[in-house]
Amino acid sequence: MQLTAANTAIVVDSTADFPEAQERFPNWRMVPLYVRFGDQSYRDYVELGPDEFYARLRTADELPTTSQPTPGDFLAAYEELAAHERIYSLHISAKLSGTFESARTAASELGDKVRMVDTETASAAITMLGLAIQRRLERGTTDEEIAALVERYKDEHRLLFTVDTLEFLAKGGRIGRAAKFAGQMLHIKPILTIDDGEVLPLKRVRGNQKAMQEFVSEFTEGSNDEPGLRVGIAHADAPERATALVKMVRDVRPHAEIETVTTLGAVVGTHAGPGTVGFFWFTD
Amino acid sequence: MTEVDRVRELAHAALASLEQNRQRIDDLNVYPVPDGDTGTNLTLTARSVVEDLDKTTASDRPELAHAVTRAALMGARGNSGVIFSQIVRGAAEVLGAADRIDSTTFAEALRGASDAAYRAVRRPVEGTMLSVIRELAEEAEERATTDLLLTELLPAVVARGEDALARTPDQLAVLREAGVVDAGGAGLLEIVRGLAAGVAGEPIPEAPEHREELGFDAIHQELSRYRYCTVFVVEGEGLDRESLEAELEPLGDSLLVVGDDTALKIHVHTDDPGRILSMGGAIGVLDGVEIANMHRQTEERAERLLEAVPDAEPNASDVIAVVAGKGNRRLFQSLGAAKVIEGGQTMNPSTSELVEAIDAARAPEVLLLPNNDNVILTAEQAAGLANKPALVIPSRSIQAGLAAMVAYDGSRATEENAEEMREAIDAVATGEVTIASRDAQLNGVAVREGNYLGLAEGKAVAGGESFEEVASAVIERLLDEPRGLLTLLTGDGDPPLGDLIKGVEARHPELELDVQAGGQPHYPLLLSAE
Repeated sequence: MQLTAANTAIVVDSTADFPEAQERFPNWRMVPLYVRFGDQSYRDYVELGPDEFYARLRTADELPTTSQPTPGDFLAAYEELAAHERIYSLHISAKLSGTFESARTAASELGDKVRMVDTETASAAITMLGLAIQRRLERGTTDEEIAALVERYKDEHRLLFTVDTLEFLAKGGRIGRAAKFAGQMLHIKPILTIDDGEVLPLKRVRGNQKAMQEFVSEFTEGSNDEPGLRVGIAHADAPERATALVKMVRDVRPHAEIETVTTLGAVVGTHAGPGTVGFFWFTD
Repeated sequence: MTEVDRVRELAHAALASLEQNRQRIDDLNVYPVPDGDTGTNLTLTARSVVEDLDKTTASDRPELAHAVTRAALMGARGNSGVIFSQIVRGAAEVLGAADRIDSTTFAEALRGASDAAYRAVRRPVEGTMLSVIRELAEEAEERATTDLLLTELLPAVVARGEDALARTPDQLAVLREAGVVDAGGAGLLEIVRGLAAGVAGEPIPEAPEHREELGFDAIHQELSRYRYCTVFVVEGEGLDRESLEAELEPLGDSLLVVGDDTALKIHVHTDDPGRILSMGGAIGVLDGVEIANMHRQTEERAERLLEAVPDAEPNASDVIAVVAGKGNRRLFQSLGAAKVIEGGQTMNPSTSELVEAIDAARAPEVLLLPNNDNVILTAEQAAGLANKPALVIPSRSIQAGLAAMVAYDGSRATEENAEEMREAIDAVATGEVTIASRDAQLNGVAVREGNYLGLAEGKAVAGGESFEEVASAVIERLLDEPRGLLTLLTGDGDPPLGDLIKGVEARHPELELDVQAGGQPHYPLLLSAE
């Protein structure tokens, strides 16, 4: 079967931090997770935008919690895309969230129309995989080619992030082996990645500038300056850090394309905490 | 032997018994907050009673009872210490007024102690040291007769205490979940056991061989929602215990206000110790103020207990660091140093001390951070003598050692760590502000004895009477090259930094600043830029 942007849809969940999905691509949908303050529940991005979320986080007595979309939420999205013959459903690492399971339950209602992808990563890295698929759809592609792309993407895409405190990751139980890397004192910034679907510590440095320098040196070591190099940047209430990273990419890799600069939404923000910066790249 | 001497002897016996079990009791501590210091607090409280007894000039029993009560109150540490001070008070009131001391007066004393302890706590909770003291009193009352000897009564009382302590997990869920008995109760029992041994003229029983198995869960108890354990004494006239208690009640938990109208001891867990102290200061004179960060205590205990968990994965390499200053010690520990040995400029550790530490490390290999020029050689000797492979990372200052520590990762092998740590040391510029021990001309800088002397990368850059000027000169030198982060470790004299910091912030708006209380001697300020 020849897959095109006309007959194939892409569904992401809101942890892809790509709220403009449907606006930019008529064949895309974003299914929101839920974020809850006390007993009030909001749909990520739809009912609670990042700015409002971080403002609220600053004054909240209790940290918010999150929950995955229901299978019904996914089914509604798939049904809305009924005119498409194929749906690629791309989700946050199943080791970090139950979202993938929820989507799979819904997809099983629709036979093999929906292709499920556990991206084994998070945030802008999900979006960037979707964009790579979209580029192929726009010129015409096949399931086999997409399957090969997904495998290569999991293998080759790089992701670095740093948080102001490990407290948020720890609260949500999403910290794994990074726990030993703590160090609340001394401006310690852990440099983290997601590997095999799990949060993993790489090293620790002191201060934001050092953390950014660390991103630069990993990026320059792990990439070539070529037009196929694609970069994503995401931040939680730290736009100045994202701006600094954009400038740094332009300096060291002038040919790279910065595909997305986004704010982490309420759901990812709940687990990473304000001040988090993520940096993603992939050569396609 | 005079009566005072006899009391001293018994008090020493009680203290010795407690001291032997201090660490074990610390590790039991999960209630009311798992800060792991119940054994220490009780020991410190008992010690202050013993010290006071050793000095007392009291000639008769009522006077002695009064002195003991006051010493316990003034020396009371922590929640358990404050309750214990009331146990002492209740017992002392009865014993001080009695004509002779026999089984019946002893039973009355325990009853007085129990009643005073319950009165001290606003909301008494069973399964704590309260239950233990009450059952001790009940057992004594049931058995005491005029002809029962004290030496016959005490073993039964101790046995009942053991039984009561063993039942605390049935009474209090938090103990049951953690798989431990109550720490305060355990401490109280050791005190009574020591007393009983003293009365019988027997040696203090050895601490139990068998270390109580601690469940892993005991480590992961919830923290108190308040951060600071705040303890102090207010002395004054006509102090109103109840109204102070009512005022303090909304500001925290684990509140205890005990004493009389001339002196009150306050213990509270709060987020706002300043406010609590002002309220105390408003009604009298403050003394013995102690504020502890319980969250820090909890972390330290978790670290200690994690070391004891047999199936925790050992590091591929451990760090042993030689560090001066309490704050600096904490910084090294927070970054994962397995052992910190006190030492530095004027207090060098011995080779054998380092060899012992290397051989005792859990990891198969060791990295040594000497953190001082004068210690590097000793460290190298120790590394050569130890039975375990050890490598010296030649850090010449605490600041350099800290930079190395940040680069350390316990899961990496020694060589790999060593490379990263050496690189980190090379990347950091260090400086010091010290006080000149004599008139001198150094590197073109003239400095007089007693003046501040500023060094950058080991070279004198400024001298003079103004701490701020000297420190500023060092900072500017360190920032000659563009740097992102400036760290200031303040010395044990806590030099005021306000203006210095304002100046640096104004001159270097992009710079990140990190000020930590290092507590090192001889150097009012240690600095590093990276």
